Amino acid sequence: MRMTPVTILVGVLAILAAVVFVMVFWPYTHRDMTPSEIYRTRSPGEESGRVIYIQNGCVYCHSQSIRTIDWGPGAERIAQAGDYVGDKPILLGSQRTGVDLSQEGGEHPDDWHIAHFIKPRYTRPNSIMPPFRWLGMQKIKTLTQYIQSLGYKQADHRMQRQRYWKQESIKAYEAGPEYNVKWLAEQVPAGWRNIPNPYPTTPAGMQRGRKNYQDFCIGCHGPIGDGMGPAQPWIYPPPLNFTILKGRQISGGIIYYQIMNGITGTAMPYFKRELESQKIWEVGDYVAVFFINQSDANADPRGIDAAWEP
Amino acid sequence: MALSASVNPERYRTARAFCLTSAVWFGAAASFGMIGAGYLIAPDFMANIGFIHFGKTRPVHVNLVLFGFVTPGLLAAAFYYVPRLLRTDLYSEKLGVFTAVLWNITLPAAVISLGMGYTQGREYAELPWLVDILIAILFALVVFNIIMTIRQRREKILYVSVWYVSAAVVLTGLTYSLGNVIWQPSTGALLGIPDAILLWFYGHNVFGLLLTPMGLAVAYYVIPRATRSPLYSHTLSLIGFWSLIVVYTHIGTHHLLQVPVPTYLKTIAIVDSVAMVIPVMVVLINLWYTVKGKLGEIHADIGAKFVFTGTIYYFFVNIQGSMMSLPIVQRVTHFNNWVVGHAHIGVLGFAGMTALGGIYYILPKITGKPLYSKFLADLQYWLILIGITGFAIVLTIVGLIQGQAWINGETIYRVLPEIHPYYVSRAMLGVIILAGAYIGIYNVIRSLYFNSGETS
Repeated sequence: MRMTPVTILVGVLAILAAVVFVMVFWPYTHRDMTPSEIYRTRSPGEESGRVIYIQNGCVYCHSQSIRTIDWGPGAERIAQAGDYVGDKPILLGSQRTGVDLSQEGGEHPDDWHIAHFIKPRYTRPNSIMPPFRWLGMQKIKTLTQYIQSLGYKQADHRMQRQRYWKQESIKAYEAGPEYNVKWLAEQVPAGWRNIPNPYPTTPAGMQRGRKNYQDFCIGCHGPIGDGMGPAQPWIYPPPLNFTILKGRQISGGIIYYQIMNGITGTAMPYFKRELESQKIWEVGDYVAVFFINQSDANADPRGIDAAWEP
Repeated sequence: MALSASVNPERYRTARAFCLTSAVWFGAAASFGMIGAGYLIAPDFMANIGFIHFGKTRPVHVNLVLFGFVTPGLLAAAFYYVPRLLRTDLYSEKLGVFTAVLWNITLPAAVISLGMGYTQGREYAELPWLVDILIAILFALVVFNIIMTIRQRREKILYVSVWYVSAAVVLTGLTYSLGNVIWQPSTGALLGIPDAILLWFYGHNVFGLLLTPMGLAVAYYVIPRATRSPLYSHTLSLIGFWSLIVVYTHIGTHHLLQVPVPTYLKTIAIVDSVAMVIPVMVVLINLWYTVKGKLGEIHADIGAKFVFTGTIYYFFVNIQGSMMSLPIVQRVTHFNNWVVGHAHIGVLGFAGMTALGGIYYILPKITGKPLYSKFLADLQYWLILIGITGFAIVLTIVGLIQGQAWINGETIYRVLPEIHPYYVSRAMLGVIILAGAYIGIYNVIRSLYFNSGETS
């Protein structure tokens, strides 16, 4: 084959034209832009937040692309083409150094996000996200508006729930510690309230509980459990001071349930995705032993002794 | 050897300018990469400096590596071997130098706009419209200069390197404009899923139609020259060239296998990703058989040593790439540091090594003097080889840890502390690469301008 300039140029251009036709042009002309059932348009504020998201390269660490194999936040809904019909550019992302944000809207209340942007480790001690305090409060709030819209109608639903429970929890907090603790305990289903922590207090268990406390809880509740972690100034109602719980009938079951399910409306997230059962019980016992100074670990009713118990 | 007699100081000014461009921007690009690696270890270390926080540093690093370090490095060699292979002068050294100057205006413009948040928010297509236009103009100027050089050639037969480099600059000029949606200045994007399809068509072709053919062009020139042996096979050259253009252009959608895009696009992308074995192995068989029995000569020439190492990394990156396109593998490798490792193997291990090889191979020929320091070049070779090999190992391990943990239901926050030590060792390897880049700047500047060495 004689490779003349004309052969090369005409050849490669013809190939490129054919490939662009099949791989880009054809799918473009046959695109399906039907919105999915969760889709709605974004408000101007949410659009401005999205611009901040793009400007600051959030997409390099956060995907917006839930796959069939995912477990993390947002995994309840597999992404559909119709979820992206308002996205220009589309922000699928190619890396997950941070969590996927497809359904982030309403996962946390606004104050959690603001504390998180001020310094991500305030609310997530293990986070390696750089702080965004330099954006200024105005931009942080706009960005939060966008984050709270991720998931569209499903996010709106979650946000409604956040707002309702925020009111309730503020009411309870402002009614004083006595009422607040009672209110918090009452939100836990009755069965759970009567369950003592089934794990005995052991040095090893305390050690593990402490590690997970530091990895997940310390930013809000603080190193001595008084609710004065670095996130405290940004959060309202403020993080719970564990030291007020003594003598107020707080069972291991109540602590477990609140860690597992979180307290929607407050900055307290749920940890059932992060921590398996034993880890939650041990964090709970760590809190009970060290901060409340009153633990029901391994107390009656205990049922049949577990096989591993000494 | 009467080398100096043949070197007219007016000749190869373009090649010199691009050598310098590449060397300097390699240092800059690696520095930004280093800052990024620092953020992954200690996110509060340089907290609240908006211009260089991770989300800015990362696209600056990627764009500078692609358009500041590797492309100019490979072009430097091209501006030397294209006229040589065609037995003529470059059509216009003036135009070439102007291109290099404009190139060095475009790159700071890219850094500043990304740093200030002017970005299109699309990976590999971040640069805003004005910079896109500058880059399109740059490619047009390079195309014009090379095509006109081909037109005034005194050698009838076009050598393989000329095929690759002319195809690369022509096709990249087009795919760059297409991929950056250049007709939409305000957003530079399409709406919804088609945006992802176009983006990854373009994004993958930065490697497929720019770095790979330009890198192979350098390898096709340097390896036979350094070993003083004829190319093993013309037929393999032909198959390798045409199959590369056909196959590589199809595979961008393998970035979207886990995304709701049409299944036929995924199928084509997977099939062609596996079929990449053909253009890759055909070229490597051709080049490696050319070297057969003459590794000593490769070893003796520092430029050829870089280039030959590049071909070995070319083998690794492509075998890995074919594997990664399989859905079952991608379930583990997608979204994590495995892919970061893959990108470094390809862009630094293959294309970057080859660009450095091209620069060191032509420097004595365009200056008429031996390299300022062969020792420093050799040191740089080892630093970068150790750095990139370490990157490949460490990032692959991190990727497997992340991928396997996620697929088993561990959340991001649980896995982050586990990978911290690997981020630390990655940054340490980054320091080694960075040292290599800085040594390169010194060596290239000394070789070009302050070389007191004897003319050879």
